[in-house]
Amino acid sequence: MTSPSAGPSDPGAASVDAPQAPEPRAPLLDVRGLSYRYPGAQVEALAGLDLAVSSGEFVAVVGANGSGKSTLARLLGGLERPAGATLALACGHDLLTEDGRMAARRDVGVLFQNPENQLVAECVEDDVAFGLENLAWAPEAIGARVDEMLERFWLTELRRREPHLLSGGQKQRTALAGVLAVPRRVLVLDEPTAMLDPAGRSEVLEAVRGLRAGGLAVVYVTQEMDEVVGADRVVALEAGAVVYAGSVGGLFGDGDLLRRLGLGLPVAGELALELAAAGRFLSPLPLTLEELLAVLGEQT
Amino acid sequence: MRPAIAQYYPGESVIHRLDARAKFVAVTALTIALFVRDSFAGLAVFAAAGVVAYVLSGVPAAWFWRAFRPLLWLVGLTFLAQVLFAPGEPFFSFWIFHFSWAGLEFAAFLSLRLLVLVLIGSVLTLTTPPLALTDGLAWLGRPLRRLHVPTDELALMVTIALRFIPTLLVELDQIMRAQRARGADFGSGGPLKRARALVPVLTPLFVLSFRRADELALAMEARCYRPGVVRTRLHPLEAGAADAVLLVLTVAVIVAGLLV
Amino acid sequence: MSDARGMALACREVDFSYEEARAPIPALRGLTFEVGSGQSLALLGASGSGKSTLLQVIKGLDPPEAGDVLLDGSPAGAAGYAELRRQVGLVFQTPELQLFAASAREDVAFGPRRLGWPEADVAAAVDEALELVGLPPDRFGGRHPYALSGGEQRRLALAGVLAMRPRLLLLDEPFVSLDPATRRELAKILSRLRADGVTLVLATHDVDLAWALCDQLLVLDAGRAAAAGPWDFGESGRELLAASRLREPFLVELWRRLGRDPSAAPRTAAAAAVALR
Repeated sequence: MTSPSAGPSDPGAASVDAPQAPEPRAPLLDVRGLSYRYPGAQVEALAGLDLAVSSGEFVAVVGANGSGKSTLARLLGGLERPAGATLALACGHDLLTEDGRMAARRDVGVLFQNPENQLVAECVEDDVAFGLENLAWAPEAIGARVDEMLERFWLTELRRREPHLLSGGQKQRTALAGVLAVPRRVLVLDEPTAMLDPAGRSEVLEAVRGLRAGGLAVVYVTQEMDEVVGADRVVALEAGAVVYAGSVGGLFGDGDLLRRLGLGLPVAGELALELAAAGRFLSPLPLTLEELLAVLGEQT
Repeated sequence: MRPAIAQYYPGESVIHRLDARAKFVAVTALTIALFVRDSFAGLAVFAAAGVVAYVLSGVPAAWFWRAFRPLLWLVGLTFLAQVLFAPGEPFFSFWIFHFSWAGLEFAAFLSLRLLVLVLIGSVLTLTTPPLALTDGLAWLGRPLRRLHVPTDELALMVTIALRFIPTLLVELDQIMRAQRARGADFGSGGPLKRARALVPVLTPLFVLSFRRADELALAMEARCYRPGVVRTRLHPLEAGAADAVLLVLTVAVIVAGLLV
Repeated sequence: MSDARGMALACREVDFSYEEARAPIPALRGLTFEVGSGQSLALLGASGSGKSTLLQVIKGLDPPEAGDVLLDGSPAGAAGYAELRRQVGLVFQTPELQLFAASAREDVAFGPRRLGWPEADVAAAVDEALELVGLPPDRFGGRHPYALSGGEQRRLALAGVLAMRPRLLLLDEPFVSLDPATRRELAKILSRLRADGVTLVLATHDVDLAWALCDQLLVLDAGRAAAAGPWDFGESGRELLAASRLREPFLVELWRRLGRDPSAAPRTAAAAAVALR
């Protein structure tokens, strides 16, 4: 597992053109009591979930398989109809109405897990253009925006490449460029590195780190704790409801919860949990070798 | 590797830069005209036009050959069928087969016509990117929308299908190898046995494709795709003077071919 | 033919190329290494270095252009080689792709049936394999493969190979795309197989899992063996790993930084916790 970098890097790229937020404090995503059940399922995938995300925030969403993370991602993107909610607003659009969901798809972008199944076009640049073509942008504007996105995600040399000739990391960056070509206010990523090899994983993580400028709100769904490290906040799901919402450090300190959620910890973290089970507590939970050495050193 | 018949060869020749719609109309018109009359002279005119187009396209001969090769058996079969069974005074008979000069001549004509058809069609597919071609067809088929035929959606479907062919071929290979590793045998046995042996390969491929369709549809919706809504293009089709010239020349070739 | 539970594997000067548009692409060059009976080998290297190719050549899906693949010391063509080859199991990348039958049992039974075993033996092997991968036959046997979760499907595909009772088990990136819980499950299953004496060859890019499960390593670089043999944490060993852009296993580095002998580093976090308590 790769260790997280020292801090968010900003390749000095252009901002994401997020339109002005109406009020500085109103959350971009505001859902309360959100529920969803798959057709024919006996158990609710989401059961009364509350979540609020503000402009510029980077919120990590963690949880085991079946906890409802992917369902949440799809609902936030206006891609599924909620079974019910007290409130379900995405960028001011009501997710409970058909029109609201259609409008939400424009402001909330979603990047999925499988890089292969997101690319529709014959080559990279056509795929990045797809969203803008759907929104009937003028060709020159599409061209300019596509160039910008290709530059931003290091794809310019690959612009005419066919999808089956791309590596996993390249495919996922193409998909990301395509999602963000449409100017967004929120980006939801559903386990974007799960199917990638270490090289692809670090490419995508680096691309995501570069997103934090510009007021874009990011919801990052993952099962790997080392991807959560730079987040402003983390929300943990279990059986479709929130069981923890707070700081990353707070979650890292709760060994019992971590074990219960069955999350993927880097070896350092696993070692710390094993030590905790044996009675030796390391706090804060180390995720890298350096952090582990530091904590062990402090204790001796 | 995508089948050679649909293979696009990138280039900047005058043929490449012609509008896909004009090219398609020209090829269709020529194809129809080819069948109006059975004349070697006329065929020669059309063949000459095809050769000129091929030369102007700058596509290497090897690529044209790849388009021809799979059809050679069809040409051969056509030739043989005509030679052996066509009516006419036989100059040589063997068992139930009668060879006549008329039959030979007709067979030659049919085979050559088939070759010219492939030549002209190949100029189209080798010089036109699949996306431009489907866009062009969608534009030409616009009137069908009044009959509720979803031409734009069909065009997109074709584009997506073409995009996934190489991917599917790789996955097919993977699945076949995995099943061979479990002892599956695809090579031996009669046709029925071989068909049954394909179940462990086709079933996963189907399931994979259905799952893919679901995920792809979601990804498309996440990028604001809505069927029925008019879409613009990064590379819009732009007809120009050259296309008008192409259409005029096509008419001239057809007239010449029919009159000569 | 050996009586040992695990098969011995040796490759001598193995060459293999792909035919691509009339230009052969060399994928394996002069590959030479050994794995003794019951040992486990980590096959490391970047994407495209030839790991999958090597595993498929060992399994016999593609014959090598030159060199030999020796199973229990017998080269291809020797008496009984075909029988030995049947005892080599290969688990592909994303093996869930191979699931096709109407029930878990039927899918797992495919391999043993193709081997021509009598039905009673097939049924026993299927149940045994399902138990081994943590999918008890009474609960999972009748379920449709496509109705299972991703992790369950991965384990089911593994069961399909284990049902043939391989003495040499080859695995191509078995941990990719797995959720953390299933990853841990799978590592436990492989440990159990090791304890049983099965010879393992594990192609992976996870250095820590390789350290946990394997006593030898083979590092591939563009089809050539950059390193082969037991883990080496001396100067040259570390340089070699670094040259292939691989880091040392975490626990090894930890032991080194704590001033302890790196080659005595524990293999798992649990063992390390005991040592550091």
